[in-house]
Amino acid sequence: MDTETNGQNGEITGLKMDFLSSSALESSTSMEKVSMIVDRVKKGDLVVIEGGLTPEEEAELIETTMREIDVENFMGIDIYTVEKDKTSFFGLSRKKTVGMTIIGPANVMKEVKKKSNFISMIANMGDSDASLH
Amino acid sequence: MNLSRFFKPKFFQDILKKLLGKNKTLKIGFYGHPNSGKTTLANRMTTDWIGKPIGTVSQVPHETRKVYRQEHVTVKDEGVELNFDIIDTPGIATKIDYTNFLEFGLSESEAKERAKEATKGIIEAIKWLDDVTGVLLVIDATEDPLTQANITIMGNLEARNIPFIIVANKIDLEDAAPEKIDSVFPQHTVVSISALNGDNTKLLYRKMVDKFK
Repeated sequence: MDTETNGQNGEITGLKMDFLSSSALESSTSMEKVSMIVDRVKKGDLVVIEGGLTPEEEAELIETTMREIDVENFMGIDIYTVEKDKTSFFGLSRKKTVGMTIIGPANVMKEVKKKSNFISMIANMGDSDASLH
Repeated sequence: MNLSRFFKPKFFQDILKKLLGKNKTLKIGFYGHPNSGKTTLANRMTTDWIGKPIGTVSQVPHETRKVYRQEHVTVKDEGVELNFDIIDTPGIATKIDYTNFLEFGLSESEAKERAKEATKGIIEAIKWLDDVTGVLLVIDATEDPLTQANITIMGNLEARNIPFIIVANKIDLEDAAPEKIDSVFPQHTVVSISALNGDNTKLLYRKMVDKFK
């Protein structure tokens, strides 16, 4: 797991989170995006992406995750999205779009409280927990 | 050469059907989370229409770990027939924790083996999205319907223009809340049923004829 330790007793003290803007991913192919996410999450990182994945990318992400599952060490992923309003038709109509996608290892994302535009989670880091809002 | 047969209306109808792909067998995929009741529903349907069940049902999640197919099922509703194959797929999930299976009395090695098989089953279920022509998305009405697996399945069906019906299952259970499924997916057809008891399955068959014929 890609986390920091305090060096004295090996206790986990930090969780690595990667924030990626939509422009950081726009030149990547779907396969590159999915590989990048799975590689990072498998190491224990939490990946936060501006915007969402396409349905096909989500299916590819689940499929790739299933290939990478190692029943002892990597049990898969959790994915959560935060929505935002998008105004269209000269401001006359609004629809929800994905503003942010959070993907992390299933054994780390311990508890999530979610509304459409708000998310709260506790990362399970062994003996010590970290809250993320 | 007798050309008259080429000018029969049926000849043109057959050509039209082939061009539109109407002659292809309908393949209705049963999708959803593990333990949402896909196989119970598939069994209910095949028992109702061809007199035999399709697969084994269990309390342990990921009981169905490979795709089961039942060909030539015909549903009849008020003179309209719907002929299709049932594709019962393993439940789709983003994670598999083998320790969950230990609670059901499996040994550690059995639980790990089940987890490995389940990962392959999920891949197979996703692959079948390229091949199904209609889907019943089965959701356990006692659980939160807004999960990533359900959203991913629906997104892929919409992107591929595959018609689907959301089946709010397990309404026989006290804590079932099918109205919640209705409220979060107002743009889709939702039918509340109990696959176990057969409650409302006639309505589902009617909706299937409307949606998939």
